[in-house]
Amino acid sequence: MPDFKEAIRKQLAKLRLPPTRESEIVEELSQHLEDQYEQSLSRGASEEDAYQGTLRGLAENDLLARELNRVERRVVQEPVPLGNEKANLLTDLGQDLRYGVRMLAKNPGFTFVAVLALALGIGANSAIFSVVNTVLLQPLPYKNPEQLVMAWEENSKQGFPHDTPAAANYVDWRDQNHVFAAMAAMTDISFNLTGMGDPERIDGLRVSASLFPMLGVQPQSGRAFRSEEDRPGANHVVMMSYGLWQRRFGGDPAIVGKPINLNGESFTVVGVMPREFQFPTRNYQPWVPIAFDSKEAGNRGSHYLEVIARIKSGTTLPQAQAEMTTIATRLEQQYPATNTSIGAVLTPLHEHVVGNIKPALLVLLGAVAFVLLIACANVANLLLARAAVRQKEIALRLALGASRARLIRQFLTESVLLACLGGGVGLLLSLSGLDVLKRFIPPNISQAQAIEIDARVLIFTVLMSLTTGLIFGIAPALQAAHFNLNDTLKEGGRDSAAGNRGNRIRGLLVISEVAISFILLVGAGLLINSFLHLRNVDPGFRAENVLTMKIVLPEARYPDKGRRSVFYDALIRRVENLPGVTSAAVVTDVPLTNSGNSVGVSIEGRADPAPDRIPIVITRMISSRYFKVMSIPLLKGRELNEGDKAESQPVAVISETTARLFWPAEDPLGKRIRVGSGPNNSNPWLLIVGVVKDVRQYELGVEPKPQMYLPHAQNEFFYPCALVVRTNVNPLSLAEAVRRTVWEIDKDQPVSDISSMEEVVSESVARQRFSMLLLGVFASLALILAAVGIYGVMSYTVAQRTREIGIRMALGAQRGDVLRLTVGQGLRLVSVGVLIGLAAAFVLTRVMASLLFGVSPTDLTTFITISVVLISVAALASYLPALRATKVDPMFALRYQ
Amino acid sequence: MSSPRLDRELKKGSAELLILSLVEDQPRHGYDIGQLIELRSRGVLRFNVASLYPLLYRLEKRGWIRGRWVEKAGQRRRRYYRLTSAGRKVLATQRDGWQEFVGAINRITGIAHA
Repeated sequence: MPDFKEAIRKQLAKLRLPPTRESEIVEELSQHLEDQYEQSLSRGASEEDAYQGTLRGLAENDLLARELNRVERRVVQEPVPLGNEKANLLTDLGQDLRYGVRMLAKNPGFTFVAVLALALGIGANSAIFSVVNTVLLQPLPYKNPEQLVMAWEENSKQGFPHDTPAAANYVDWRDQNHVFAAMAAMTDISFNLTGMGDPERIDGLRVSASLFPMLGVQPQSGRAFRSEEDRPGANHVVMMSYGLWQRRFGGDPAIVGKPINLNGESFTVVGVMPREFQFPTRNYQPWVPIAFDSKEAGNRGSHYLEVIARIKSGTTLPQAQAEMTTIATRLEQQYPATNTSIGAVLTPLHEHVVGNIKPALLVLLGAVAFVLLIACANVANLLLARAAVRQKEIALRLALGASRARLIRQFLTESVLLACLGGGVGLLLSLSGLDVLKRFIPPNISQAQAIEIDARVLIFTVLMSLTTGLIFGIAPALQAAHFNLNDTLKEGGRDSAAGNRGNRIRGLLVISEVAISFILLVGAGLLINSFLHLRNVDPGFRAENVLTMKIVLPEARYPDKGRRSVFYDALIRRVENLPGVTSAAVVTDVPLTNSGNSVGVSIEGRADPAPDRIPIVITRMISSRYFKVMSIPLLKGRELNEGDKAESQPVAVISETTARLFWPAEDPLGKRIRVGSGPNNSNPWLLIVGVVKDVRQYELGVEPKPQMYLPHAQNEFFYPCALVVRTNVNPLSLAEAVRRTVWEIDKDQPVSDISSMEEVVSESVARQRFSMLLLGVFASLALILAAVGIYGVMSYTVAQRTREIGIRMALGAQRGDVLRLTVGQGLRLVSVGVLIGLAAAFVLTRVMASLLFGVSPTDLTTFITISVVLISVAALASYLPALRATKVDPMFALRYQ
Repeated sequence: MSSPRLDRELKKGSAELLILSLVEDQPRHGYDIGQLIELRSRGVLRFNVASLYPLLYRLEKRGWIRGRWVEKAGQRRRRYYRLTSAGRKVLATQRDGWQEFVGAINRITGIAHA
């Protein structure tokens, strides 16, 4: 039977019918022709005649084509012929999307893996970006926040480039400048809030009356302070935060005008701030007027204020800075005793608020971008592998006349669709991740609790998804477009040029994945290393089994050290009698809480140095047994004890650094030192009776500065606010008993900040832990993604080489040879990646320098460890597919095509 | 039916009616339809592939007939056409119209010959 199909197709060719329609017609017509041919034969025609006769009916005058053309051209187009020039962009897009959805639905495994990888990458980016967005990018919630600056004393000579100004300097700055629309001072103050319910310790601020108008925020009820209230005597007025108003006063709508009891004195409530208002952070609840008296306003020696100012519109920051420098220089000449080497420096308020978290956030943002890049590389790999599987489809489309540009578009549509799916899932991930993230954000970060997925984060995520789709879609799309039609249509055209090209791209992807994860791992390694160093720093005391709490005696009820001593003695005696307590003591400030006092001192027998060279010593007032409670080792002499009473010889215990710096070649015991300097200094000389080990008072990561301890009974300047208790049980289990003991002595005395010393230490490294944990998580994510990527590529390569491996094994290659061959191939790629990563990390880790402690950005151990880890993981990831390769049955492999 | 041109014009006018009539009682495939036309016209009317199938497709597109691939055991699948309900109405009107037309022609030609 002759075949008529070809002849029919020739007739139909110019109609360009949809392929399915064309094949139907061909089938139907060829049957007809075959029937007709057989009938001719049965009527006695020769084969040749029957054949020619049959064909004649088909080809007559082009009739078929003409007639069919009239019938068929109005047929609705079926959605296959990509590359139709006339089709418009939107229709194509819809078509591509539909097709893309079908492809993804048809390969659920592929879709799942790809979407998961992308969701992890995009989700991590959205989460970190939402933090960056809220903390770094959102303007502060005040009027024209860009005009707000912090003003500092600049005292770099003594190591304080941004020192808190003294009151008299602030007053001079305020009165002499022409560049600020307003200026305000503030300083911390803590209150014992009593009178209703349990007594409570709350943190507040003393502020200038100008502060609230300067910030441009109105109270939600009542009013802000009046300038006449910003003076001594008129200042018993208070403004409170929404939170305090709700929590403590049940949102009493008539609160304005009512008195409340702070530190044993009555203050009239004049205003309540709106719910969203926080200044500087949410921790500060009541504000009272700062109301300098003349003594405070003339003081240039105590530096404790924070000063904020609003630059006049039209004035620039450098202009304002220049004016401040001029004023400071004038003050330096006017008051050499106090102001020598003290300048003035302005920093934008925003920088002050976000300053210490910014480097960490930027590093994290970089890290998540890297994670996303690795995810992209993985998905690109998957797509490449799938493009190889789709060769037949691509070939068909090209054969049907699709242009290469059109194919690239189709592929990109698919990858962007994939990325958008990943972005959607990623957004969900980041929503749930954000709650976890918030828990690790150091509490002193402004706006930390306001972090949310807002419109900006959404737009960021959408743009990121689109970009991501384009990035990982480009390689497979280009590969598809450079695809050689003839090679594929030929049977077994597997090892084609396109395949080699694909292998090259895959190799590059593996290399970049390895390089990027290397950078991330090194970054994480450095942070983990830093953190371990930090936690291994000897703080100078033993934190285990120590309970701490704040007990601040109000001056109204405890006006002198005599009355305070009675309270402390009773408290210590009773607490030491509690079961589980071994010793107790009071101290002005617990180490590592970021608060405490320092004093300038003079040394007996030495001339007073220049004002900017006066030695500064961190000073703590303690009760006896403080060193025992904290386990601070005594190196020389004796501890302070009960014998050091108000009326006995004033004494001091110094730290080893103080001893080394002040008496490098002498025995400090028996020497004398006193607080303050100058000829009119009337403070008593303090006899040094002991030397103890250094304590890290402020930060674990900062070398200890000179310190001394004085008996609280002998000193008036500062008085203890903290109780420390050493226990032989879990310290927190005693919290309630200790608090009850306080209230047995004074029922109105608030107790706050109850925590174990270990918590205090841990809290002090919250910021470092935050960066370390997050970067650690992202680096692990990167490692896993990279391992999956390497595994995928190696599996694919092995599958491609099955035949070759089979031949090798048939020719006598051993298992080991095959393993070496395939693992070796994987390791070659990985090594190149590690080398590139090494070079890049060497440069990039420098940006992390400010986050590191105790390790250099190019720490050799970290670099080597990470190389080993990465290469091992990579070796494992290529070993598994290699192992599979050795199990290849040579016979099967040879047949396999 | 000497001139192919006349042949085609006549067929065109009548072909739709012929096909619709042939599938009125039972579904038939294209070759069958072609054979029946040739047989019943005793060879006067003959359709070849190029003229028959475009017609079938056009009728199908108008919704008068409907083609279905039918597979029978041991045979190639074939496309069978059946009359739709729309086709049935068309067939009825065309039949009437044709009879009127033929009657008219007969009257004219009959008178002319008479």
